[in-house]
Amino acid sequence: MTIRTIEVRERIMAKNDELASEVRRRLAEHDITSFNLVSSPGSGKTMLLERTLGTVGEELGISVVTGDVQTQNDAERLAHHTTRLVQAVVTGGACHLDSRQMLEALDAIDLTETRLLFIENVGNLVCPASWDLGERAKIVVFSVTEGEDKPLKYPKMFREARYAVINKVDLLPYVPFDVDRAIDYALQVNPELQFFQVSALTGRGLGEWFDFLRRQVLVPAGA
Amino acid sequence: MHELSVAIEVCRMVEERLGPDASRLRRVGVMVGDDAGLEPANLSFCLDALLGQPPFGAATAAVSSCSGPDLRVDYYEVDDDDPND
Repeated sequence: MTIRTIEVRERIMAKNDELASEVRRRLAEHDITSFNLVSSPGSGKTMLLERTLGTVGEELGISVVTGDVQTQNDAERLAHHTTRLVQAVVTGGACHLDSRQMLEALDAIDLTETRLLFIENVGNLVCPASWDLGERAKIVVFSVTEGEDKPLKYPKMFREARYAVINKVDLLPYVPFDVDRAIDYALQVNPELQFFQVSALTGRGLGEWFDFLRRQVLVPAGA
Repeated sequence: MHELSVAIEVCRMVEERLGPDASRLRRVGVMVGDDAGLEPANLSFCLDALLGQPPFGAATAAVSSCSGPDLRVDYYEVDDDDPND
């Protein structure tokens, strides 16, 4: 037996990153801003998107790609709030979206009519952190029912995100969640993180969120 | 949790590099940084499960750890005297 060693030092994520660059190129070609919403299951991503589509969906030309392990439930919920196609990606067990799925999803979306693209990732605070989908930024959503130490438990996700939405603030009187401590923990992990405090259910704080989105679509997509 | 996705990607890389010689693969060396978001033992388990199936022969994975975010294939060991030749 003659064993030959081939030394390579090849990045395992190289192919995904190459396809993510292609997603980014296509979005830039149409001047589309894109955000990758990531969170644990049940944090309120879908309701935040429902409220966002219902209020500024037409104004900002919002399209959505939504990923779930099984079912198209989220896509069906979102479709009630927009006339645009909500592209569902059923991962069939995979715990995250990847850039190959994103490229295929883009084929189904009318890019010429889209200014802002939301990717609703699979609910999971671990795996989606590792996969670049060609987005401008990741936005991590976490809710006050989850405990304020989420950023310390899942540091990679909070490091990869540029923005954090603290959701369900209407429940603060009923749960032992210290917002200042949660923000402090998150800033320990990522000092650049910017925060929104909202209740997608009651609408509290959403004005600031919508204004943020309005400003973002004015930034060239390649920036 | 996405160790299986990463293991599948490693197998794709092996097939892309070795082509029809993928069956000659005996070991693949993978480096996992402690900030890569992966559990090395879990990745090793997934790789060994996949590398024991066609088109691979009886290959195994050697998963090593390092500091930082690195996640890469460092080397392939190929048997140049495949008895099936």
